[in-house]
Amino acid sequence: MTEVQIHPDTSGTPTVLLIDDSQFVHRLLDARLRSESIILRGAEDGQLGIKMAIEDPPALILLDLDMPVMDGFETLRMLKEDPRTRDVPVIVLSGMNSSQDKVAAFDLGAIDFVTKPFELTELRARVRSSLKMYALLQMLAQKAQIDGLSGLYNRQYFDERFRNEFDRTIRHGQALSVAMIDIDHFKSVNDTYGHPAGDSVISGVAKLITQETRSIDICCRYGGEEFALIMPETEPEQAMQLCDRIRAKCEQITWSRHPTRPVTISVGVVGMFDGQSLSTTPEAWIEAADRNLYDAKQCGRNQVKATGIDGTSIGRAKAG
Amino acid sequence: MNLPDPNAFSLDINDPADAELIEYFLAELPDRIDSIEAAFSNDDYDALSRVAHQLKGAAPGFGFPTIGTEAGKLEQHIRSISDPAEGIDGLRSQVESLISLCSSYIKPV
Repeated sequence: MTEVQIHPDTSGTPTVLLIDDSQFVHRLLDARLRSESIILRGAEDGQLGIKMAIEDPPALILLDLDMPVMDGFETLRMLKEDPRTRDVPVIVLSGMNSSQDKVAAFDLGAIDFVTKPFELTELRARVRSSLKMYALLQMLAQKAQIDGLSGLYNRQYFDERFRNEFDRTIRHGQALSVAMIDIDHFKSVNDTYGHPAGDSVISGVAKLITQETRSIDICCRYGGEEFALIMPETEPEQAMQLCDRIRAKCEQITWSRHPTRPVTISVGVVGMFDGQSLSTTPEAWIEAADRNLYDAKQCGRNQVKATGIDGTSIGRAKAG
Repeated sequence: MNLPDPNAFSLDINDPADAELIEYFLAELPDRIDSIEAAFSNDDYDALSRVAHQLKGAAPGFGFPTIGTEAGKLEQHIRSISDPAEGIDGLRSQVESLISLCSSYIKPV
């Protein structure tokens, strides 16, 4: 069985994957859906369809129920069991217009059902509505991970993501660093200039962090005036330098609401070296970063304090 | 030569895209007829049922609902017989009727 690439790839356009053993259906739907802004890809059996869906998850799958070897029900069950394809909506196509099949397909997680022969306008409407729903769900899922004020990832996302990065580091012995960043004397900004001024400091520092970090870094708002930065494949010295650059740029920002009052940050960094193996926990890692942050605050603020996860002293970076 | 059923839904023979679909279907038909004949003479009822099933589902969408109906009858017939040797005569007439219907749409060479 061959993979049928019907339209060239265009980024941003949703991909619809058609899994059907009949070339007639591929040809028919290609013509029928040509006017829609979608990329239609095709697989002629369930196994290839699942493989294609895993490699490049589409926004919608159109799945024929009645196929030889692996039928549509089996294909659907496997798509819904795999976390990589579970969330992709599936419209089931069938020539058998039986309620029993419909119920079985819905039970297995199909989002909709279209019977053959296709009614053109109905098919288009169902494809459109499924794509719209998928786009909205994607947006909601993404919003649930984003902090509204700063635009950075939220605390919940940080916890989950750090756990994943931690596991990966322990497994592969790769370097990893985490920084806890806190705005110095934030309460007095709020008290002196009002909460809108405080909010713009939060979003301003968030913007600075985003600008000064690399695409592999994960920037999160940890809570209040505190940010957390995950730096994968980064040793603690390098992490300290990166954070010190943020610190230095931060103190130079002129704030429109309080031009004479600069804002500084204190940072606690804890990192693991490449190839280091150590038994620790994500919680212990965050606690160690918090201790370094506390130390940076105690020693006069506007500075970065870094250590290795094993307690090795890395250093302290500050102005001047 | 028969023409596609003008009452078939979703298809307009004057629309270029639809005309292209009709043309594609007609171009594919001889191969399907060959498959049906081969499957029948080899007593390969699975293959026969598969071709019939595909035609049943696809033909109406290409403007040939009568082929769809006829293919559906053949598929139904294969499913209903437990011992193929027993229902071979009925099956033969179903196959012949589907082939002659399909052939009636194909341009004589």
